[in-house]
Amino acid sequence: MSIEPPPTGEESPAIEIVHLVKEFRILHTGSVKGLLSRIWKRPKAVQFTALKDISFTVPHGQTLAIIGRNGSGKSTMLGILARIYRATSGTVKLNGLGGRPARIAPLLELGAGFQNDLTGFQNVEFYGAVLGMNARQIKDRMDTIVEFAELGDKMDTPLHGWNDGAKLRLGFSIAVHIDPDILLVDEVLAVGDESFQNKCYRMIADLQARGKTIVFVSHDLPVVERVANRVLWLNDGVIMHDGDPTTVLAAYRATAE
Amino acid sequence: MLEEMKEVWRFRYLLRQFVSRELKIRYKNSVFGVLWSIVPLIISVYVYSFLFEKVAGKTIPNYSAYALCGIVPWTFFTTACLDSCQSLLNNYSIMKKVYLPREIIPLSYVISNGIHLMIGWAFYFTTFHVIWPLVLGIPIPLLHTIVWFPVVLVMECLLVLGLSFWFAALNLYYQDVKYVLQTLFNLLLFLLPILYPAYIHLEGLRSRGMEWAYDLYLCNPVAAMLTGFRETLLEPVPVENWNNSTPLPRPELFAPTWTYGVAALLTLLILWSGYKFFNARKWQFVERY
Repeated sequence: MSIEPPPTGEESPAIEIVHLVKEFRILHTGSVKGLLSRIWKRPKAVQFTALKDISFTVPHGQTLAIIGRNGSGKSTMLGILARIYRATSGTVKLNGLGGRPARIAPLLELGAGFQNDLTGFQNVEFYGAVLGMNARQIKDRMDTIVEFAELGDKMDTPLHGWNDGAKLRLGFSIAVHIDPDILLVDEVLAVGDESFQNKCYRMIADLQARGKTIVFVSHDLPVVERVANRVLWLNDGVIMHDGDPTTVLAAYRATAE
Repeated sequence: MLEEMKEVWRFRYLLRQFVSRELKIRYKNSVFGVLWSIVPLIISVYVYSFLFEKVAGKTIPNYSAYALCGIVPWTFFTTACLDSCQSLLNNYSIMKKVYLPREIIPLSYVISNGIHLMIGWAFYFTTFHVIWPLVLGIPIPLLHTIVWFPVVLVMECLLVLGLSFWFAALNLYYQDVKYVLQTLFNLLLFLLPILYPAYIHLEGLRSRGMEWAYDLYLCNPVAAMLTGFRETLLEPVPVENWNNSTPLPRPELFAPTWTYGVAALLTLLILWSGYKFFNARKWQFVERY
């Protein structure tokens, strides 16, 4: 029998990133014609560095907002944390609470895995599995997921008859109910009506209270102020500023003007 | 490579979801549902029987059994290859937004098509070993070679999986791959021993002193697979029924064992290299612009 150790200050942090570099090589998307022409004409590999030597640590329970202009590397950073991209160099460590492997819920685009031909219930099963849940976990949480999403009897119908708001609610509901250690959010809360948005904020507050780690990307500075307790400002792939929301946001706003 | 396979095993529930999604979507709004994986088989058998018997004037006993025995594995081969060829593009949005072992995607299309393959074989066995003998009174004996049937079946699945890894990864960079395959498959329908047995090529090649070409032909894993199914399930039709030539001595109606060995080795090589090729590129799949 294993006894889970109580969370202590010495526990490994949720996210440890050391000297992270991410380079993208712009690949030719081509045809056989392109392949043939490359035999005698070697293409110049166009390279750009999206993240240049980034290091930071996020302790458990922190809510980190990443801000910055378009093309500053915010989304690449989230992609790295979601394990969609592999780091070119440097290390990325994600740890769960109590030394377990981290469970990560990427909300990079709600419903990216939704299938319009399947019903709501079938989509919960499919997307739940995409997010790493097993059959039992999905079954246990089905009722709460449906209730939170406020979808009721719509769940039996295929998704192509649904409006975007309904899909969004279902996507958010599935993602927060996988009980993640680390929740990654990319600008998704901007949609949905106000009452659902408020519900999402309450959910986020609840996750924060339960010691979950949240990393989100947003251009919406009031939201950042309201939710985050730390802000990382990326510019051109490097960290410009890293600190408490008031200081970083003040500096960021000063440059934006 | 072992680590990668363990990761797939860890995500087996997701794999199951991918497969069941494929099966649910394919016939979701059709009245006859799964019958649609059988109806095209029946129609092709009728068309080819008509061509061979009425147009070409061959008299081949139980030709429909011969044809179906080639059409069932060939249909699986082509649809599974074409489906997995498109699979990464069709699931690009998922790959771009969540982590998953990416080989699950082509793998799931091979499995879902494999289920249709099983339905096809079930149809074959009920038609020719139950309905024909019992209802029509035409017996088709089960040969003792049927013990090799599962082996050929497994080899075909491994071959298709290996090719699927190649095609899926390549098609992401060169979308011509799909069109090349479609064209090639149309051609191969007549070049491979699908509607006729391989040995009808033997006489012609031998008269030109090119018997080695016949061996080479049988070493091709696809030809070997099709020949393998036919030899495990059906008595060979005497060659004079096919091309009015002098009868071959019986043993030559069967493919030599060593060509099966070469074909099996090639199959494993394709699978191994395909998986390696796929794995070496799978983390760059979403990085193209």
